[in-house]
This record gives sequence, C-alpha cells and structure tokens, in this order.
Amino acid sequence: MRKYLLAAAALLVLSAPVAAQNITAPDAVVPAGITVQAVMVHGASLEGNLEGNAADREVMVVLPPSYAANPTRHYPVVYYLHGFAISGRDFYDYMQVPTAVATNAAEGREFIVVVPDTLTAMGGSMYSNSVTTGNFRDFIATDLVRYIDANFRTIPTREGRALVGHSMGGYGTWVVGMTHPDVFNAIWTQSACCVSARTETPASAAAMAAVPREGADAAGFGMRAGLASAVAWAPNPQKPPFFVDWPLAADGTVDRLVLARWAANSPLAMVSSHVAALRSFAAIGSDVGDRDGLVTDDTLIHQELEKFGVAHEWAVYEGTHTDKIGARFASVVLPFMAQHLDMGHLDMGTD
Amino acid sequence: MRRVWTAGLAAMMVLASQSAQSQDQARADLQTFEAPALAGNLQGNPTQRKVYVVTPPGYDEHPDRRYPVVYYLHGYWAPVEAQQAGFRLHEAVQAATEAGNDVIMVMPDGYSALRGGFYSSGPTVGDYETMVVRDLVNWVDGNFRTIPQRASRGLAGHSMGGYGTARLAMRHPEVFSSIYMMSACCLPPMVMTPESAAGIEAMTQADIDAAQFGQLAGLSTLATWSPDPADPGPLKVDTGLMPDGTIDPLVNQRLAANSPLVMLPQYLPALASLEAIAIDIGDADFLLEGNRAFMAELDRFGVAYQFELYEGDHGNRIAERIKTEVLPFFANHLDRE
Repeated sequence: MRKYLLAAAALLVLSAPVAAQNITAPDAVVPAGITVQAVMVHGASLEGNLEGNAADREVMVVLPPSYAANPTRHYPVVYYLHGFAISGRDFYDYMQVPTAVATNAAEGREFIVVVPDTLTAMGGSMYSNSVTTGNFRDFIATDLVRYIDANFRTIPTREGRALVGHSMGGYGTWVVGMTHPDVFNAIWTQSACCVSARTETPASAAAMAAVPREGADAAGFGMRAGLASAVAWAPNPQKPPFFVDWPLAADGTVDRLVLARWAANSPLAMVSSHVAALRSFAAIGSDVGDRDGLVTDDTLIHQELEKFGVAHEWAVYEGTHTDKIGARFASVVLPFMAQHLDMGHLDMGTD
Repeated sequence: MRRVWTAGLAAMMVLASQSAQSQDQARADLQTFEAPALAGNLQGNPTQRKVYVVTPPGYDEHPDRRYPVVYYLHGYWAPVEAQQAGFRLHEAVQAATEAGNDVIMVMPDGYSALRGGFYSSGPTVGDYETMVVRDLVNWVDGNFRTIPQRASRGLAGHSMGGYGTARLAMRHPEVFSSIYMMSACCLPPMVMTPESAAGIEAMTQADIDAAQFGQLAGLSTLATWSPDPADPGPLKVDTGLMPDGTIDPLVNQRLAANSPLVMLPQYLPALASLEAIAIDIGDADFLLEGNRAFMAELDRFGVAYQFELYEGDHGNRIAERIKTEVLPFFANHLDRE
C-alpha cells in the first residue's frame, strides 16, 4: 500500500506538467467593439458521468460590435467546437475568435460565436453520448443551444444556427449534425478527425488496456486520443477504473463488438443511413490542409458524400492540421455561414 | 387493376355507410397517406402509403373525444393487408374498449420492392424512418381525433417492426413515450461474408423473384443498410465484395451503425427518457439469442424494462398477445383525456 501511495505521489508530480500536456495559448486579442463573455453553462446531459467530468462548462460567447447598441436586434449563432487536448478557452484564444467576429462584422456579417469547453479526464469528449464521459452530443445540441437562446439575443431557430468544428470538433460537427439535423441549418468541418472507423490490432488493443488509470495523462497524445475514443464509444459502467470495454476479447483477439460500437460512431459509416439528415442542411462545408495527416481520411467522407448525392463545399488547401484554421474560420467559414443563415434584420439605424 | 378498383370502391361504400351510423364495433379502415420522406428512393417504393387506422367503438358518436394512439409496425415479407388479416387489430382494439381503455391503433405499410423497408433510412429503400415519425404521425394527428402529444403515443412492432420500434425509440424519443418490442429481429449487427456477398451478386431477377424468406431478407436488409446509388445493377447495394475476395470493412461498419445492440450506448438518454419498455418473445423463436443479447445491454446500463418469455414461436401468438399484452401495457402507460 505504501509502495502504491509512493508510486501515486510520483505520478502526481509527473502528472502536474503532464496534465498541462493539453495545448494552451496566450489570451486572444479582443478588438475594439467586441464583447466577450465567459459564462458557465450547466449541462443536465452531463450529470452523473462516471469520469467525474464537470457538468458546469465554461463557454466563451463572442458578441458582435452592434450587439450592445441595438437592444432589440437578434443575431445568428455559430457554434464552434474545439479539438482534442485543448480547452474551449484555449481554442478560442488560439483561433483568435474575437478577431474573426470583428473582421466579419466590419464587412457587414455580424454573428455571435459560441465556443463551449468539452475537455474531459481523457482529453476530449468526442462530442459523443457516453455514461462514462457524459452525454456531450446532447449537451451541445440541447443544453448549450437552449442556454444561449435563453440568455442572448439570438435568432432562436434552426435557420439562425450553424455548427463548425476543428479536428475532434470537426468530428463532433459531423456526428452532432447528422443526429440533430433539426437544430442547425448549416455545418462546416475543419480538418475533421476520426472520420473512418478506428481499428486496432491485438497488440495495440492490449497496449490500450494496459494503461494504468493514474497514468492516463502521461500516455501521450495518440494513446490519450485512443483512450478518449474508447470511453466515448464503448462505455461500460461495470468496469472501473476507466468504465470502458477495451477492444480486447478474453482470448487475446480484438473484440469485434467493441469495434462495431466504434464503427457505429464513425461519420464515414454513418453517412449512408443519414443521407436525408445531411440533405436537409442548407449547406455543408468541409476542408483540410494538404500537409495534414487527416487529408486522406477527410477525402473519404468527401467522396462518400459525393456518392450519396449530398451537396457540399470541399477544399484541400495549402496547410497543416493547425496553421490556417483560425484564419480560415474568419475568411472562409464565417462568410460561408453568412450566405446560409438567417442573418436577422439589418440595422436601419433608427433606434 | 380493375379488380382492385372495384374492391376499393366497395370498401369506400362500406365506409361511407358505416360512418353515417353509430360505431358499435372497432373498425379497421385501410386508408392512404402521402410520405414525402420516400420521394426519390431507388427501389421505386411509392410515396403514397397504405395504412390501417383502427378506431374504437363509439368513435363516430363522440366527436369531442380524443384518444391515445398505438402505432404498430408490422414484420417482413407480407404486405400490410396480409399482416392485418393475421393480427386482426380491430379485435385487440375492441377488447381494449371493453376493458375501458379506448385507443386508436395505426399500422402503416412497411413493405418495399424487397418486401420490407426495416423502418430505416437510406437512398435505395427510402427514408421509412421519417415516413413513420414525421409523415405518418402528422397525418394521423391531422385526420383523427388523437391526443397529439408524446405522452399519448405508443410504438410497438413485430419482428422487422420490433427492430423498427427499438430504432425509432432511440433516434426519435420526442415522438413516442412507451414501446413494446415483439420478437424483434436484427438487433445484433448483420455481418457480410465473402460467401454471402458473392451469393447476392450472382442473383438474377428470377432468383430474386423465387427467393425464400431468409435469402430475400438478407438482400433487403443489405439494400437498406448498405445502399449504393452508383451500383450499375438494379439492386443498388454495396455488398462490399472486393477484387481480392475480401469484404470492404466499410460495409460491415455501415451494417453495425444500423444495429440497435451496437447503437445503444449512444442512445441511452433516449431510452432512459421512455416511460416504459416491454420486450417479449416465444421460447421457440430463432431470434431469442439476439433479444437476450440486447437485454443484456439494457441490464448493463441499468435501463428498466419488462420482459416475458412465453411458449411459442416467431409468429404463432402475435395476434393473441397484441390483444392480451400489448394494448393492456399501453393502457397502463399512455396518457388519456
């Protein structure tokens, strides 16, 4: 026991910097005229999760320049989902979201942009419903949207809402969009991760199952992403400490049912049974950098959408997984959404 | 065709004469509704759908009364008329009224070119899922004196319809408040093998016309859950058979994504939101193992349900149990006026 405690203490020391293994960023510039509110949103959908992830989540709400001076005007909302191993606030900082709102407003496109935090014990919610991590699919589509509509002057209809995300957030945009098409009018995925179904070999599955719970923070980005995927897609309330079914069968082979559960959460595998939902969007966009390791995977879902006749914008641009995301959110994604959302009444300057 | 028209006309005349008088017996009317959800499907399944609407005794005489509705999804293979001939839903509704539990019962046509749309959504078969949860429910609420709210709508079904019951409850929990799955099929994931894929690819139209239940069901589910609009053949399916003789993993992944057993963890909030879940199956039913696996998942995640294993096979006691079990279950769980 003593030995265990010592080991745990050593791990704690180790994990202090390791917990900060999540990506951080200096504070975003907030241009003149932009108001940012950091609000705490309670997620009823997140209550009782087995990982102990907070049910109250910080949400960055970026208000456009005319918001304060026009107390009767309502605005469209773009929900922007962050990626893995980063908090909502750090993503907001990294992508310079206030500047994106300001530059679009300067060209007459005024939005509220909302960045929720979904960082979890394993580094990310995968925006999935899981008794282990919390029901983040429902949190985004239900709790968050309801809170924002109740507390800000939004256009509180489908026509006034878009869903956008980067990497894990791009994945979240695909799955939340496909399963809640009634909530959002248009979607855009940037460098979406996890598009095709994750698979494992017996060796990689065994490595995953061998990670100690206390050492999960130190497991490295790739392994943490695997752990986060596992707990999001194959939760098991009866198997502490991870509360997961590892993709490893008792006989040492890969557990096919677990991989089937993962596959059922794969956007690529979901397209053919969500064609009607996808076609119901006013517009879909997807892009990825040519030097992003995910370009092949993202191209697969582009081709699947083509095959099933789902109209969408698609771009492969010069860039990596991260270097142009914030700039393209400002210069490509928000202008695209302005064309496909109800932008509200123009301010006639009479009040 | 002439014979169909004549029969239809006769049915309409019977209807007209009945509705002018008092309604002392439950009445099953074969009607049609429009399902825009099926528009453009590649099997040519009609958007105009047949539907049985069973109204309880006294429905005509009480124009101010409103009723809860039990939607019933039939199984694979037989058209809706043959399903009603077997189920005799009017007798179940009659018995419900006699027990003091007036209810409207609705059974839509779930048939397809391959004898069943599995209440799913795909471009080859069409969006049967939305046909039920949107087009049918709107039509029923707009044309009959229902209590048009979730708390007063139940969903039940047999075999393919038991699958549909589980699927729709998970994916559209805002529509129905209680469900009853009878001898549900297709709960564990369907898996394509090179042998079955090769068999399907070798089928001619004559083979399809002559196919037996199991063989055609395999083809119909594949067309539903692994559609391929680009398939040069008439089936518009992706069997996944690759030049090297293996199966494209994406095909089995698509099939998994349509399996209630596999989907369940993602849809637990929906299942937990239901007022009540019932499952039953005969002890001699070939689908018993799949139902047990599904219930093991419900147990694992702590979802409450009632279950009965009764003496019977896949079909021999369904009509009886709709009357003695299903409608009494909904009488306990649906809100009335």
